[in-house]
Amino acid sequence: MAVAERKDALRFLFGKVVDPLGFKFTPDEELADFLLQQEVKLEREHGAPYCPCQGRSGARDEDMRIVCPCIPFHRAHFDKMRRCWCGLFVHKDVTDPDSLPQFPPDEA
Amino acid sequence: MSGPAWVAVADDVSIKEGVPLAVYPKGLAVLVIRQHGELFAIANKCAHMACPLKAGRLDGYVITCPCHDWRFDIRDGAFLDAPELAISTYAVKEKDGKVLVRLEEARDGG
Amino acid sequence: MADEVFLYTLSTCPWCRKAKQWFTERGVAFEAVDVDLLSGQEQEAAAEKAHQLSGGRRFPVAVINGEVVVGFNPERYRELVNGTG
Ligand code: SF4
Ligand code: FES
Repeated sequence: MAVAERKDALRFLFGKVVDPLGFKFTPDEELADFLLQQEVKLEREHGAPYCPCQGRSGARDEDMRIVCPCIPFHRAHFDKMRRCWCGLFVHKDVTDPDSLPQFPPDEA
Repeated sequence: MSGPAWVAVADDVSIKEGVPLAVYPKGLAVLVIRQHGELFAIANKCAHMACPLKAGRLDGYVITCPCHDWRFDIRDGAFLDAPELAISTYAVKEKDGKVLVRLEEARDGG
Repeated sequence: MADEVFLYTLSTCPWCRKAKQWFTERGVAFEAVDVDLLSGQEQEAAAEKAHQLSGGRRFPVAVINGEVVVGFNPERYRELVNGTG
């Protein structure tokens, strides 16, 4: 089925992007699968695999910064959380992703 | 085989200042760019989701991917927002009216 | 006193689901809106409101008795709700 193939394609493309940045896919397979599914859906409906956990503003310069993987544009924040906002990606040494809190960039 | 091979990719007159040209030496997608009189050759494939950079916007030494606006320096291939995610660059030169690109050495042993 | 909880969420966001689940499991009544499922002006208004409250575009945004919490944050939720046993 085409959705499953596109999920695999995104997994392949994104894996290559996040690895040099020190991240990997979350070991929580169910979460990863759900998020990739949402991204395929967003890509079909809105033209790009936008972040499932961030809202688009309609301004291209803002919206392009939340196309997955958005790590390059939010690096200090994500490095502090040791995960991306959605939790699709975590730092390479993370084995227990559920222990990582989700907090906005201005909260330590 | 000794040393990396230079491959002729185009007539030098066909590469106009500021107008990237897509070429395919040995099947590799390469973009040749003449900017400020100097030649550059980069992978014609974005580090994000592999969109061809050919249709991107060139501004100085920065090319912006048409798909989601990732920006690369055509001199060293670095992605401006995370230099770790550089695209490949290739040596390029003009000789006898031709533009030649040096591809990485073929890795098949022998 | 009764808690007032409002959640701004996206239907595509797993942490938004977890937030709803957290309040449901504790019997805390809440209102919620999936901003991405609204359309037209309704969507714009809800997105703008969430943006104003949170100062960004990250979801979920919870408003608990007047306090804004961005992200799924059970620790903060616990601090801010009164009416749980
Ligand atoms: S927060 Fe994570 S899942 Fe969402 S766009 Fe960024 S990298 Fe992708
Ligand atoms: S493919 Fe180039 S920015 Fe997404």
